Amino acid sequence: MQSSPNSKPTTLIIRTIAAWSVALLLFFPLLFLAVTAFKTEGQAIAVPSLWVFTPTLENFVEVQARSNYLHYVWNSVVTSVVSTILGLLIAAPAAYSMAFSPTKRTKDILMWMLSTKMMPAVGALAPIYVMAKTAGLLDTKFSLIVVFTMSNLPIMVWMLYSHFKDIPHEILEASRMDGAGLWDEFRYVLLPLGMGGLASTGLLCLVLAWNEAFWALNLGSANAGTLATLVASYSSPEGLFWAKLSAASLMAIAPIIVFGWFSQKQLVQGLTFGAVK
Amino acid sequence: MTPTHVVSPSDKAELQSQRKRAALLFLVPMLAALVLVAAYPLFRSIYFSFTDTSLTNLYGGQWVGFDNYLSWRTLPSGRTIYRGTLVDQAWWNAVWNTVRFAVVSVSLEAFFGMMVALVLNAEFKGRGLVRAAILIPWAIPTIVSAKMWSWMLNDQFGIVNDVLMKLGIISQKIAWTANVDTAMLAVLIVDIWKTTPFMALLCLAGLQMIPKDVYEASKIDGVHPVKVFFKITLPLVKPALMVAIIFRMLDALRIFDLIYVLTPNSSSTKTMSIISRENMIEFDKFAYGSAQSTLLFTFIALFVILYIWLGRVDLSGDSK
Repeated sequence: MQSSPNSKPTTLIIRTIAAWSVALLLFFPLLFLAVTAFKTEGQAIAVPSLWVFTPTLENFVEVQARSNYLHYVWNSVVTSVVSTILGLLIAAPAAYSMAFSPTKRTKDILMWMLSTKMMPAVGALAPIYVMAKTAGLLDTKFSLIVVFTMSNLPIMVWMLYSHFKDIPHEILEASRMDGAGLWDEFRYVLLPLGMGGLASTGLLCLVLAWNEAFWALNLGSANAGTLATLVASYSSPEGLFWAKLSAASLMAIAPIIVFGWFSQKQLVQGLTFGAVK
Repeated sequence: MTPTHVVSPSDKAELQSQRKRAALLFLVPMLAALVLVAAYPLFRSIYFSFTDTSLTNLYGGQWVGFDNYLSWRTLPSGRTIYRGTLVDQAWWNAVWNTVRFAVVSVSLEAFFGMMVALVLNAEFKGRGLVRAAILIPWAIPTIVSAKMWSWMLNDQFGIVNDVLMKLGIISQKIAWTANVDTAMLAVLIVDIWKTTPFMALLCLAGLQMIPKDVYEASKIDGVHPVKVFFKITLPLVKPALMVAIIFRMLDALRIFDLIYVLTPNSSSTKTMSIISRENMIEFDKFAYGSAQSTLLFTFIALFVILYIWLGRVDLSGDSK
């Protein structure tokens, strides 16, 4: 179970096999999806499943022709990136304030933020829909950005708060003794030391915003629809859509997988809310 | 640390109060944002639940008190008729489905997550690659995984039935998502597949914090590995696990999108979120649905309070 430097080669092999089987089991559905994307519709419904076939790019071409893929990618990129930046701009000062100048109310605020995660999204749908409609913001990227930012805000403040709390107070005190103003403090102490926390929080929210489907489907459609909307549009009970659905899904998840691959270390750190390091 | 130059006390007090003001100021944007987009819709929705508002007439609702929750009328014959969500069988069915789903999925996810974490915590070849690969199910949109699984679980063309038949586990094809007996199982399988990696990574991060010498010491003392797990590993991972479980629980109790895509019409998987949306939007019983989502909110709030109280969980991490 625990690793020790002088493990026997056989145990190493057993462990490797065990770990890879677990990974393969979890990864298999995605592999299946990726393979299907290159089949024709006829091959896709073959039982037993085909694993050797001549791959075709037809599905990708058709997805692009049917609905402008790049349009949805652009919407996804804009909404997730802008909402993440906006979220960090609002959450970081709040977390800073709660971590370094805690008051009696700090805990209440944290609990209150958690309580916003207790309302089912559907309960907030009508009021938000009406607000967006009244403001003439239905089906705009702006309304999606606002909603994504707000729905991620509690988790962002929470994560940043626990990261900031790990920064030793002495360092801040010392910089204050040296006469550092608020800006200096932020620029020379908080930013460098809190960078890890900011990065992992940002990454996590980027992934969450990218995957958001409920609000994207309800507030956006033709104009502001994200990749989740694109995938949702591929539904057919008849089952002759699977290859195209797979292609569309693969196209929707490819950017986030590539992105996640390069940043998995920060992402994992972010997922632990900084509680464990 | 020693100050490099002396700051006069009055200057210091001035700086101090300036900082206090700045700290308050920093909180304002977040609080304003939350009030506008989180608190306002919440209260609005609670308000709707006490009116007879309909989807077509969102501003014309009249106050009806608790009628959407429970009302009764005594007939001349002496019989009393009860109406409202609290005597609605479909609602209690949804409550039961939600609780069942949340408890089973979160406990199995915690269990499997721990197992996977123990496997991944050991040394083996290609650790980084494996760790990245298992993160993927969590990182892709639920809508994609739900669609993908609904196809894999398809009764005619699905790979799951094919493999299970070949292995001799089942003798005839099962309509996983359509059958009342298996629909919940299908939802559980997909949710566990999707969320176990998340739990595993949280557990793994907890495991890696445990100093190696603790294990070496117990090895020298000849403590049985199972005992080591229950007496050392589990207590040390527990704080991280408790926080992970509550965040998962909040999501599981509100589950919507997976069921909406995978088994939209099965009464055995209708959860509180699903049924509330159905009433609000499809059945034109907007206020009634609002009452149901208010009840769900109350239910989750009570659960969180109990959990924190009973488990003595400190969510802000002050106990560190």
